[in-house]
Amino acid sequence: MFTAYLIVSALIFSIGAAGVMMRRNFLVILMSLEVMLNGAALMLIVFAYYIGNVSGQVMFIFVAAVAASETAIGLAVAIMMYRKKGSIDINDFSMLKK
Amino acid sequence: MAVIMFFILSVTTIAGALGTVVSRNAYASALWMITAFVGMAGLFVMLSAPFVAMLQIIVYAGAIAVLILFVMMLMDRRVLSNRYRFNPQYFWGVIFAAGIFADIAVLAFKLKINLANAGKNLAVNGSNTQMVGEVLFKHYLLPFEIIAIVLLIALIGAIVLTNKKSEEAE
Repeated sequence: MFTAYLIVSALIFSIGAAGVMMRRNFLVILMSLEVMLNGAALMLIVFAYYIGNVSGQVMFIFVAAVAASETAIGLAVAIMMYRKKGSIDINDFSMLKK
Repeated sequence: MAVIMFFILSVTTIAGALGTVVSRNAYASALWMITAFVGMAGLFVMLSAPFVAMLQIIVYAGAIAVLILFVMMLMDRRVLSNRYRFNPQYFWGVIFAAGIFADIAVLAFKLKINLANAGKNLAVNGSNTQMVGEVLFKHYLLPFEIIAIVLLIALIGAIVLTNKKSEEAE
């Protein structure tokens, strides 16, 4: 069971990583990032259960807080770029190149 | 019984994650993401972490998903469903993701931990929430305060970034 949980966690993390690397829509990239963070959080909870220590569950609270702040900043950037460019395609976001 | 529940919940979660990544419409992506989060909350319940499962539903499926959906509602519909879903380098994305998965999977099969304490020490007086609260405020008080400041700074940053007046002043 322990290994199965770890495999599920790894699968979710890598699916999210594939989404971050592949998609062009900025909002979908943010969502894939959430999925990645959630896969990592599942591993925290799995270890908390199988080691018998509640610290992993406490760490999940910190992960959730960081995820919330990351989403807030990411959405602020998305709105700002949408106002400037009229698009949320990340290939239009390469302003620093020019 | 536990194995069947684990199978159902993990299939739900993985299907949600896959749907988030591959669906053409961004709204559908967000709904698949909520599916993944709820399935994940079920997995947390199975790992005897009910407090964390409720936190998952409230914070992720309740707050973060609704925030993303609200931002989508503010945008043009045609902007969201782009003709090109994937970057040209999607092949390398898949290769690297498979590499990450293989890496963690090998670790999962090789890892040997002492399972004697599995499922113990997770509740005090039969309450998982009380245990989490005690550990949080006894041993992790400083990180808790720091995370509060991080959240505050992030939200102030979001307000500053989206402020129209400061943009016009530039």
